[in-house]
Amino acid sequence: MTGPVTTGLALALPRAGALTDAVMAPPTDVVPAEALADLRAQVAGDLAAVVEAMAEGERLRFDAFRFVLARRHPELAGGDGGPFVPSPARCRRAVGLSAVARCLRGRSPTPASAVAEVLAAGVEDAADVGDPAGRPPWWAAWYGGLPAGGRAMVEAEAVTWATQLWTALEWERLAQATVGGDDWWDCPRTRRLTLRGQADVRVRPGGRPVLLVVGGGVPPPDWRGSLGFPALVAALAGRERSVPARVVGLWPASGQVRILPVDSGVLTDTAAAVVDAVAVWVRRRGRPSR
Amino acid sequence: MPRTPTVADAFRPPEGADLLGRLRGPGTGRPAVDPGLAGGLRDWLEDGLAGAVGGDAAGTGPVRVTKETLTGVLMCEAHLVARRTAPRVVTVELARGTLVDALFRQWVTTGRLDDPWSDALGAVGVGDDGDGIAAFVASLPVERREALADEIADHAAGIVARWPVPSPTWLPRTQERVVVPLVGGRVVMSGVVDLAFGGPAGERASVCVVEIKSGRRRLEHRADLHFYALLETLRSGAPPFRIATYYTRTGELDVEPVTDDVLVGALQRVLAGAVRLCRLAAGTEPERTPNALCAWCTALPQCGPGRARAGTDVPRVAGDSDDDDDLALVSTALAGEGGDPVDEEPDR
Repeated sequence: MTGPVTTGLALALPRAGALTDAVMAPPTDVVPAEALADLRAQVAGDLAAVVEAMAEGERLRFDAFRFVLARRHPELAGGDGGPFVPSPARCRRAVGLSAVARCLRGRSPTPASAVAEVLAAGVEDAADVGDPAGRPPWWAAWYGGLPAGGRAMVEAEAVTWATQLWTALEWERLAQATVGGDDWWDCPRTRRLTLRGQADVRVRPGGRPVLLVVGGGVPPPDWRGSLGFPALVAALAGRERSVPARVVGLWPASGQVRILPVDSGVLTDTAAAVVDAVAVWVRRRGRPSR
Repeated sequence: MPRTPTVADAFRPPEGADLLGRLRGPGTGRPAVDPGLAGGLRDWLEDGLAGAVGGDAAGTGPVRVTKETLTGVLMCEAHLVARRTAPRVVTVELARGTLVDALFRQWVTTGRLDDPWSDALGAVGVGDDGDGIAAFVASLPVERREALADEIADHAAGIVARWPVPSPTWLPRTQERVVVPLVGGRVVMSGVVDLAFGGPAGERASVCVVEIKSGRRRLEHRADLHFYALLETLRSGAPPFRIATYYTRTGELDVEPVTDDVLVGALQRVLAGAVRLCRLAAGTEPERTPNALCAWCTALPQCGPGRARAGTDVPRVAGDSDDDDDLALVSTALAGEGGDPVDEEPDR
């Protein structure tokens, strides 16, 4: 990808202040409405052509995980990967986001207490199967069936994740912050493909969204694509004002931050990469299983 | 005639407020953070490693510097290489370390340890258990399994009796992974901190790092701790104000402040080890440095200096004699006590 301006961030101490400054900086680039409409039409056409090769009746939900997998490990793309097996590491983000949201709303004083409350509520929801209004989180039934030692590991993992996010920002300075949330875009030319973008924190400085995405380990070499994906889905799914001004990537384990200012070039490059990745996925899916 | 006090009589493991007080210090006068320190240390490392790293032409990925590889390569390069190619052996020490780590984590997080053996096995069973601890425990003869269960119960009792559950306001987090990429990611330092508490630093250092050990107290543990202090400094831009090793068997607690000397010493050790690791990654013949662990080295039959040191050409097998000090060192210094997970699992 040949995106325009991409920057790392030299974080002064306290880092939460510097990161919050970066998140809340006023928007700079504007993607014109015509450019966005053109992009939408182009992407819809390209993707529709690609998914033509899928088997009759097959649908594909394409998210950041599949995007990254198709780019980095095309040989692994296309498979169903076997049944999803939850683990403490695999559900720490889901539990951690709910916990940080509680802290943000002032319902819990600390990430640790918030995580405990989220887990307890999840178990309660999972047990209350007769309530048609209640929909337990995906991890709740699995978590509720674990022995005490296993539940403690889930809690511990989520506390560590949530604490890293909670201490990374000066939340009182964030404008209209929301925690988590997905963007969905059904490709209008086919309806057999849906893109799903995820962000961990969303704010709106100057009336434009800014996304914060938390990653594990260190920023990958293709971090521009990883940050561009949620920006593209948000842009496709909404109107002109829903195009993120920038996506900020935070990798707490390494203390690294990357900032991707979003303009027409970034969206175009990311769209091309997504079309390529979907094509890889569809091609691999069509191969006879051994 | 009054009995002469012995060291054993005099030693009282810290507990409760005393233990936390030693970790937290007085709470005032924590060291000011030099904002240029972390960048300076990073530059020093980058400069020192720039000439040592290759271009990864072999596609083997980055050179990984952990407390285990560091200790191993500085002890004997040939031994480290032999260990990498030999099948990983799970020992009672490794199993005990993993199980006690899990119990400590549970205690710090939930404040409950109802049935230590079940809790520990439940914790191991829910993760990926990359070391195969659950299978190892299940394969133990009944007597050894019961002995291990008794031992685990003793460790758990000590933790419960001496460790107050940290206040959530201290932001305690367990098994926190720290990764520091260097020279464009061609060298990666990493570790997993058993317990860290304190919010991110501003003008003053604010984080305390605690390493949990279920085995005997050893001098080498200080080097591990200094390595973690360096990792945390490079990751967060500020050093921890305190680093500590806690021994769950005896309740001993070694605490030290993090000074510039500590960080510079750790950095020099990392540089010395990382340069060797880079050389090995480039295919250089490993140097042989006879040491007390030669007797357990799988490369012993092909190693003249090692045979001379060990007095035999038949390697001993880890796990044959659990009470052997050197064996314990083999299993914990080189394999890691409790085994640090290396790779991130994807979040959902």
